[in-house]
Amino acid sequence: MKYIWIQLLLLAGTGILVLMFVRRWDAAHTRAWKRMAFAAFVVANVYAVFRPQDVNWVANQLGVGRGADLVLYLLVVAMAFMTLNTFMRFRSLEAKLTDLARAIAVNDGQRANAERLGEVEGRPAAESEKVGQ
Amino acid sequence: MSDYDDVWLVIPAYNEGTVIADVVENARKVFPNIVVVDDGSTDNSSEHIMTTGAHLVRHPVNLGQGAALQTGLAYALKQPGAQYFATFDADGQHQTPDVEKMVALLRADEADVILGSRFIEQTGEVPWIKRVVLRTAATLSPTARKLNLTDSHNGLRVLNRTAAAKVRITMNGMAHASELVAFLASSGLRVAEVPVDILYTEYSRSKGQSLINGVNILFDISLRERARK
Repeated sequence: MKYIWIQLLLLAGTGILVLMFVRRWDAAHTRAWKRMAFAAFVVANVYAVFRPQDVNWVANQLGVGRGADLVLYLLVVAMAFMTLNTFMRFRSLEAKLTDLARAIAVNDGQRANAERLGEVEGRPAAESEKVGQ
Repeated sequence: MSDYDDVWLVIPAYNEGTVIADVVENARKVFPNIVVVDDGSTDNSSEHIMTTGAHLVRHPVNLGQGAALQTGLAYALKQPGAQYFATFDADGQHQTPDVEKMVALLRADEADVILGSRFIEQTGEVPWIKRVVLRTAATLSPTARKLNLTDSHNGLRVLNRTAAAKVRITMNGMAHASELVAFLASSGLRVAEVPVDILYTEYSRSKGQSLINGVNILFDISLRERARK
């Protein structure tokens, strides 16, 4: 019943993934973790290239038959993290793009409408007003 | 000047060139203040809007209806004297008498937000499949239930200044309707629903949301619920 270790490991990975998704993270904090994970990846990578038999050994300790299988499992988890990371990044970019486009639209609109309609409707051009929300 | 100088109609428009001018001119017979948000249309919507007396605000890129509504509200809130804010569809399916009725309720301080509903009284005809889906959406949504809403996806809404200033629509796409309901449920604002007539013309049918898009909306909403904490 040695698979319990790999099972725990993979479940933990999934658990962290869900947690990241549910909680609004502090950007600086997670960036630090991401960097540490990257550093660990580089070290593990170099080590595994030079001593592939050790990967096999680790895999056996965790209850996985071959090192290659262990690498595959970890790859799945890493891939999920990457996807989530990209998704969140896109979403925050989209929010910024929206704010930017809105500020431009309202600003330009105010000027153009004052020119086009302002006089007719007797409404003063509100150019001194600050845009933003 | 008109009795409705303090009312602003917010009309989000995306590629509505063929009808927008008529819809706007029609609405302007009653409501002098209209802002049309051209959500980065690729057709000649903007030119058509410019022939009318409505204010035009253009998104430099297409962002989605939710974003357009928020932009329109932001713009209208800046206009001097604006007290009431109505969201109105560009395809001509909403009717100005309904807006007048809703504004009257806000003036009487009966509520802060009035939502249109297609289901309180079965006045117009709603295609039955649409009826089933929309009723299901209203029943499934915990927030719609909390507010006792019968129709959580009606585009016709009127907000007073307090409510309009509070609203922050962050879902750019079509999920903003549910987002808005969720916001209203937690905002402590007084929300009421009144029956409205929807004209399902051939045009609005062809432009309306396909029901399959409901899947997208459900997905967006579930993500937002989880990511919000």
